[in-house]
Amino acid sequence: MRVGEAIAADQADRAHGLRRLDEKGMQLAANDRELRAALFRLVDVTPACRTLDDVGRHLVAYLDEVDERPPALAAAMRISHTKPGRMALGGAAAAGVRHMAHRFIAGASPRDALTELGRLWRRGIGASVDLLGEATVTEDEAERYADRCVDALEVLAEASPGWPDRPALESDSLGPIPRVNLSVKVSALTPLIRPDAPERGRRDATDRFRRLLRRARELGAHLHVDMESVDSLEVTLQLVLEIVGEEEFRDGPYVGVVIQAYLRDSGEELERVLEWREQARRSVPLTVRLVKGAYWDHELVEARQHGWSVPVFTDKADCDRNFEVLTRRLIDARSSVRLAVGSHNLRSLSHAIAYNRLTGGADSDLELQVLRGLGDDLAEAVAANGFRVRVYSPVGDLVAGMAYLVRRLLENTSNESFLAAQAEGAPLEELLTTP
Amino acid sequence: MSEAGTDRVLAPFANEPTLELRRASNRDALVEALAELDRRLPLRVPVKVGDDTGGDAGIESVDPGAPSRTVAVAGVASEDDIAEAVERAKRGAREWGSRPAADRAEVLMRAAAILRERRLELAALEVRECAKPWEEADADVCEAIDFLEYYARGAIELERGPALLQVPGERNAMRYFARGVAGVIPPWNFPLAIPTGMTSGALATGNAALLKPAEQSPACGQALVEALRQAGVPANAIALLPGYGDTGAALVRHPEVHTIAFTGSSAVGLEIVRSASEVREGQLRVKRVIAEMGGKNCVIVDRDADLDEVVPDVVRSAFGYAGQKCSACARVLVHEEIADLLVKRLAGAIEVLSVGQAESFETDVPPVIEREAQERVQRYTALGESQGKVAVRQPNVPEEGYFCPPILLTELPADSAVLREEVFGPLLTVEAIPSVEAACDAVESLPFALTGGLFSRNPRTVAEVAARLPLGNLYVNRHITGAMVGRQPFGGNKLSGVGSKAGGPDYLLQFVEPRVTSENTLRHGLVVE
Repeated sequence: MRVGEAIAADQADRAHGLRRLDEKGMQLAANDRELRAALFRLVDVTPACRTLDDVGRHLVAYLDEVDERPPALAAAMRISHTKPGRMALGGAAAAGVRHMAHRFIAGASPRDALTELGRLWRRGIGASVDLLGEATVTEDEAERYADRCVDALEVLAEASPGWPDRPALESDSLGPIPRVNLSVKVSALTPLIRPDAPERGRRDATDRFRRLLRRARELGAHLHVDMESVDSLEVTLQLVLEIVGEEEFRDGPYVGVVIQAYLRDSGEELERVLEWREQARRSVPLTVRLVKGAYWDHELVEARQHGWSVPVFTDKADCDRNFEVLTRRLIDARSSVRLAVGSHNLRSLSHAIAYNRLTGGADSDLELQVLRGLGDDLAEAVAANGFRVRVYSPVGDLVAGMAYLVRRLLENTSNESFLAAQAEGAPLEELLTTP
Repeated sequence: MSEAGTDRVLAPFANEPTLELRRASNRDALVEALAELDRRLPLRVPVKVGDDTGGDAGIESVDPGAPSRTVAVAGVASEDDIAEAVERAKRGAREWGSRPAADRAEVLMRAAAILRERRLELAALEVRECAKPWEEADADVCEAIDFLEYYARGAIELERGPALLQVPGERNAMRYFARGVAGVIPPWNFPLAIPTGMTSGALATGNAALLKPAEQSPACGQALVEALRQAGVPANAIALLPGYGDTGAALVRHPEVHTIAFTGSSAVGLEIVRSASEVREGQLRVKRVIAEMGGKNCVIVDRDADLDEVVPDVVRSAFGYAGQKCSACARVLVHEEIADLLVKRLAGAIEVLSVGQAESFETDVPPVIEREAQERVQRYTALGESQGKVAVRQPNVPEEGYFCPPILLTELPADSAVLREEVFGPLLTVEAIPSVEAACDAVESLPFALTGGLFSRNPRTVAEVAARLPLGNLYVNRHITGAMVGRQPFGGNKLSGVGSKAGGPDYLLQFVEPRVTSENTLRHGLVVE
């Protein structure tokens, strides 16, 4: 718990200025379900709007469904009856959305994001770049995504040698750690994700995935395969375990997978990964990013609509407890696996640090990963305390990134969220108690 | 009135969960059930009237994906069979209809339990007999179970009758009674669910039912009759009368068949309406026709739509089960500002569809039901190719079996038959429209009004379109197929149907007649209450 207090104190010093204003707005929205829905819907539709008038019309239509409007919004509704009024409203809303998007998106393209990524690096913070884009529904789109991934790897590999030495980010007891780190989504590498036939997606994504692995190996980069909803879980695991296990990739590239602790079956999935790791005999370590999971609502709704058993823990404490069980399992396996703790929960993080120390691990063998826009203060605080930290950094234009943003916002404003509780001033001891 | 059963408390209705096919163990179980079924083919489907078993030759039902495989051999019910079935059904209806609704409900729920027990085998049968892919075959079995469970509860509720005004000195009561003998004429495309829905609607309310299954899916019809009888429906109250169109027409004509529940094409449905309106010798009642007919279902895509959602949802709605659902999407009307982009993305998504056997979990588009259907789709495809532009046509289609390549057509003239008639196959058209209003005009000009879709992120647009279009079922920002019992009561308006809603709260009213009793309770100055 002392570990957590130190980081929390540091984090408090860093919350300031504009960011605080954003947080105020998000908190306002978090406290009112209808208002929150209206805000998300606006964020969601803005990229599809052609004119400010169009943005204004949508905003007004959404606010119309909010029963109790704060005074400012009631005033907005009054001016919305004229076109100039709506345009002004639309302009303000669009600017608001853009402002928010900047907070979450590191740049419109990998090249564009270099400034921000370099700045973070100098502050002792690494990044994993995530390319935002439309859903992949055609082969062309899958190709284009793979091309963008290759381009991102190349742009980052070209720029990163110019960054100063940051030893904490560049090695641990298992050896060197690449400066370039790209997160990829299997659902973007194939239009054929079919939960009933995982083989199809795996087959279709194979060549593109191999292409990325080869380029990453040539450039000495780390490729991290994200995990999405349960519908694509089997495809993703099959693809990674089969292809990365091939002889060709024995000595590289560095690869990571994700385990989502909110899944009831996540323990079995982790064992499957660890067992593979034992048998694969790769010369480079595997990274496992342990997260709670970002598709909770989606999984719950899908299961309830079909009458299926819910695949995620529905009680936050169960999920937190499982996260700690999996954390310990991964730390116990640290001779062959790197653990990246992907959580904004101070208790979850402190637990990992404490257990790692208790079992004789070095602090440098742990990595913390946070989401850009949500875990920035935490990242700074953790870096200041000498830990390796990596920010998951979306890159892409605002239009393509909107769906992504809304999902992240949903997480942030859910009542279960640790960040929300912290912003509202729940006592630190309470937040750090055993789940 | 008997109070038997009323103290039994039923759990509230809930949809039967479909199999979670993303779990490999569930997929393996289905594959095993299919292998088991294959060993028993061909099945025999005799005429079943009362306790008698009649002829079992005349109809051959084949696997649409491999027509050399015979799935079932069925009999053909003759005029005599029908006459005998009606005679027995009159007796059966009297006995069955005199039971309290709760007792009938118990029997129907037992039938649901039997279907549940046999669900893997029945899904396999649909895969073979109708080339229905696994996910949809399983969903069809679940829907059949849902109808039994839903109407069983609905009939208990209906039996109570509505409240009437009561004044001193009189007692008024309104009750619903079974109409008598119902003829049930379902299609093959939901080979268990639709026969079960229409049959159980009739039975739950105390009618006898004479089921004439589609000639393409007699074995599925037989499975239903077996389950109902095994559950305790008297043999005289449910008959199986396999046959072709003639058998159905004879059933419609019979003067003592009072209710006809039909689902199928508009041509046949309207002919039934016409025939049923003729009063024949010996007929003592006005016939009632419950008809669910064709559609030309349109999806409107406004310019603020999220194409990441539109593309997969439209592809699923248009090409699932090779477009052979009454609710399937046939036309997309998209705002001209995003039309090119949508066509491009749809074409790419259609290009990667896997056309193949229903039994493969990898299949997106199975064969169509029979050669006649294949030829019909080919005719419309040829017409569309000559009048418009082919955006994409799936090139990889198996040789054997009644396969049709999924196709996307654009730039068709507004009066093209391809835009106005039901194709019932894997053919989709896209038209660019200047506004949602113009799209509504186009939809309204059609004689059909079954399902439709709207993709828009403006709640006001959604409200306007919902208020304007006379569709039976409008789906907003989602696929337009897969109506669920109790959640999306299903059925069309205009020439798509008589407005009845299968799986809805007022469906059962069509199988009953209301009777009102008003009793004078005033006796010599004494009000008896």
